[in-house]
Amino acid sequence: MKILVCLKQVPHQDARLDIKSDGSWIQEESIKFEINSYDTYALEEALRIKDEKEAEVVVASIGPDRTTQALRTALGMGADRAVHVNDESVEGSDALAIAKILAAIGKEESPDLVFTGLMADDGNFASVGPMVAELLEMPHATAVMSASLEGEKLIAERELEGGALEVVELQLPCLLAVQTGINQVRYASLKGIMAAKKKPLDTRSAADLGVQELVGTGAAKIKVQEIYVPPKTQGAEILEGSTTDVAEGLVAKIKELGLL
Amino acid sequence: MGNILIVAEMQNGSIRESSYELASFAQKIADPSQVRSLVIGESVTEEANAFSTKGGGEVTVVDNAAVSNYSAEAYRQAILAVIQETNASTILLSNTPSGWDVAPRLAAALDAAFISDCFDIDRIDEKLVFLRRVFNGKLDARLEAAADIVVATMQPGATAPYEGTTNGTVSSLEVSFNEQKSRFLETKVAESKGVDLSKAEIIVSGGRGVGDPEKFPETIQPLADALGGAMGASRPVVDAGWLPHEYQVGSSGQIVTPKLYVACGISGAIQHLVGMKGSNFIIAINKDGDAPIFEIADLGVVGDLFEVVPALTDAVKSAKS
Ligand SMILES: Cc1cc2nc3c(=O)[nH]c(=O)nc-3n(C[C@H](O)[C@H](O)[C@H](O)COP(=O)(O)OP(=O)(O)OC[C@H]3O[C@@H](n4cnc5c(N)ncnc54)[C@H](O)[C@@H]3O)c2cc1C
Ligand SMILES: Nc1ncnc2c1ncn2[C@@H]1O[C@H](COP(=O)(O)O)[C@@H](O)[C@H]1O
Repeated sequence: MKILVCLKQVPHQDARLDIKSDGSWIQEESIKFEINSYDTYALEEALRIKDEKEAEVVVASIGPDRTTQALRTALGMGADRAVHVNDESVEGSDALAIAKILAAIGKEESPDLVFTGLMADDGNFASVGPMVAELLEMPHATAVMSASLEGEKLIAERELEGGALEVVELQLPCLLAVQTGINQVRYASLKGIMAAKKKPLDTRSAADLGVQELVGTGAAKIKVQEIYVPPKTQGAEILEGSTTDVAEGLVAKIKELGLL
Repeated sequence: MGNILIVAEMQNGSIRESSYELASFAQKIADPSQVRSLVIGESVTEEANAFSTKGGGEVTVVDNAAVSNYSAEAYRQAILAVIQETNASTILLSNTPSGWDVAPRLAAALDAAFISDCFDIDRIDEKLVFLRRVFNGKLDARLEAAADIVVATMQPGATAPYEGTTNGTVSSLEVSFNEQKSRFLETKVAESKGVDLSKAEIIVSGGRGVGDPEKFPETIQPLADALGGAMGASRPVVDAGWLPHEYQVGSSGQIVTPKLYVACGISGAIQHLVGMKGSNFIIAINKDGDAPIFEIADLGVVGDLFEVVPALTDAVKSAKS
């Protein structure tokens, strides 16, 4: 069985977000990056299948040089092979263009299962997974909270509101966009990290994959006019002062509410 | 601009409120004569009639056993058929578990622009402009659609349901559904809660900022105890296995409306906010003064929760003695 896991490297969740002077995106220089949280769960889910049965896990990511780090981490966790689309002409791509690149990789690899995260922690689009499924003509499920293989079928539980679940049966090949909390993610062991250095990491361009016309700023169907700090509405009254002052201010308020 | 198509959503036999919100957005950006709607499901005609007069305009019904439950494949096919039938170039869905599941697929099928989870939409110089949050609510983005067809999902609750009256018509469309590669099996209701936060008068919740599992019994629970309240959590805390799911507040956890909600080390992503914004009074403790939680809180402290929370616990205890 072959499993393709799509993962994105995103700014670290605790990174300072400064907006570029032209308002087009955030400043990416001098901040830390990490694998998108949703994608770590997607990778773990794929590795769990590999723990159970014979499977090759291929990880794919589109991004600049720094992305190698994310792919090496994934290889260190147990993925077998990595594909890195590192190509300046891809910059400025929207979700659909990213999906077209990943679908091109999917066509080359012909996986039985494709995993993505439900959404990326940076743009929060939650678009790429179902788009890749559409382009590969596969059934899919999003917000997946459990996945179990049963022969040529996969039973997935999708998360609904309030903690309810929807159980669906998908024929293979299929795509799963994974929700956080589906499993407990392993760490890359030292042994894994050493072994990862010898694992194949292929670098590809949009042209290699035959999608150069479909990607980049020129092809984007959505344009970011501006990103900005949300305008402050009324907001909270902020208590200032020493910790003791603040604690007393809070207690005074709680008393006033009649709760003490 | 061509017609605009609202994909309404059925929930427990009625059209969801968020679909009436889509009607508000559609009426905002299009002429009433351009508004079309789709109602999918079994025996939905009565609801479709109501919707057509409350912002939905010309409604098409796809009534078929294949779509009695949500299925990405069947919904995709039905929606694509109605887009063609109605000549729609703007398609609006709600960002709900079925909306976010099918909408990106539609966009890919149509090679259209796709924008998800928007809280506002406007038409400026014949261009559609969308506002949405990025970075889990820390920043906002204004985006422009640059394609002939645009598919967008709108955040439930972002606007009020449409209040006006529209001239409506209802017709139905037969769709011959293809053989499906997927199948709905069942819906499982949320597991019964050992901890029922919906009854608590005071809730003290901890988020990812609490940092590690031991800190919940050491720092968060003592404040909840001192106040005679219950402890809650944000999703990453539950995902990490620090606390069971029954403690989770938010769209995929519990919706709570206590008299007092204290959010400690929680940034204030929309999925958390929808679970607690109905609280009577909200206190936020966060070291990041720009955290979105302060927008919804009544009273805030910008500081380290490991200093503020224990000090508050002590102050509560001495106020009581
Ligand atoms: C479909 C879907 C459903 C979801 N459902 C839910 C849900 O039901 N409930 C939910 O909560 N989330 C839900 N989420 C996740 C949500 O998007 C956010 O990721 C999550 O709410 C963030 O949790 P957080 O605020 O604890 O963590 P973060 O966003 O990481 O925030 C941590 C905060 O802690 C602060 N902090 C750190 N250290 C300290 C310190 N020492 N003192 C004070 N402050 C500190 C930081 O400044 C930061 O603001 C859902 C997401 C999706 C896509
Ligand atoms: N640049 C990328 N490289 C590889 N996978 C990606 C990329 N962008 C998005 N994805 C995948 O698509 C999912 C959803 O991302 P998004 O639609 O951007 O929120 C992510 O969780 C990844 O699995």
